[in-house]
Amino acid sequence: MSKRTDISTPEGYFDSLQSRLADIPRREEERASAAPKGIRRLAPYAAFAASIAVAVVLGNFILRSTAVPQEDDGWTYLSYLSQALDPDGAALVDEAAWEDEEGILSEEDIINYLLADGISVEHLNYVNYEEGY
Amino acid sequence: MENAEIVFNEIVKEYSERVYWHVRRFVNSHEDADDLVQDIFLKIWTALPSFRGEAQLFTWVYRIATNETLNWLRREKVRAALRFTSVDAEMEKRIDNDPFFDGDAADRALSKAVAKLPEKQRQVFILRYYDEIPYEEMSSILGTSVGALKASYHIAQEKVKASLGKEFDMGD
Repeated sequence: MSKRTDISTPEGYFDSLQSRLADIPRREEERASAAPKGIRRLAPYAAFAASIAVAVVLGNFILRSTAVPQEDDGWTYLSYLSQALDPDGAALVDEAAWEDEEGILSEEDIINYLLADGISVEHLNYVNYEEGY
Repeated sequence: MENAEIVFNEIVKEYSERVYWHVRRFVNSHEDADDLVQDIFLKIWTALPSFRGEAQLFTWVYRIATNETLNWLRREKVRAALRFTSVDAEMEKRIDNDPFFDGDAADRALSKAVAKLPEKQRQVFILRYYDEIPYEEMSSILGTSVGALKASYHIAQEKVKASLGKEFDMGD
């Protein structure tokens, strides 16, 4: 069995990849300067609103984590997702079907997916931890 | 050209190919690996001002690549669930349909066995077996002790062997 010869790339791929990657700083600069002036003026207010939202979410998290445990009503993000998809009827998402080799799909996985899909933190009432690069 | 841009271009030259192969082993598709490598380098560019040089550049780049790849895999797990399938089944399909897969049946079976490993073990297996990264460097990338990594690799190797044994009816 070979380690790398079992997979390949299109001809000349790495040259094209390198030039696309090297273009990232220019593209990012263009994107930053293309942001409308109005939006840039609103940025401090947006940052303030975001910090309030983060404070609310953190407060909620602290309250939830320090509260005396109540009987679990099974109302998870999956239930929210299922309710959102089908508010009138039976749940579309069978939670048992979400099990995989490493256990049930975690809320973090779902939230990570929803955030990547453009759902805002405020909508999810959740704050994702900052990665410490 | 600014200093940061010069450094970034050096990172691209030095690591883009390695990062691509690393990512490709996880995602089992050239197109997705290509997209993900671009996301990873965008992240590297954005995070470059915060790179203080405490970690080796190589470790730092790999850490970002590994984290981004795991985030991608987690999203893929949810996408698969929304399609009422499993990410394992999706990965098998990708390996079978990959036009840039040139290996033989044993290579294919190995790729499928690796794709079925739990997240952490897959990470360790890919870094050690395919990327040939020493345990000490893996330890800095993943923030796990060398002993734990060796144990993970051993377990992963046993699972892969068992899976290949079953596939080719080799017995134990």
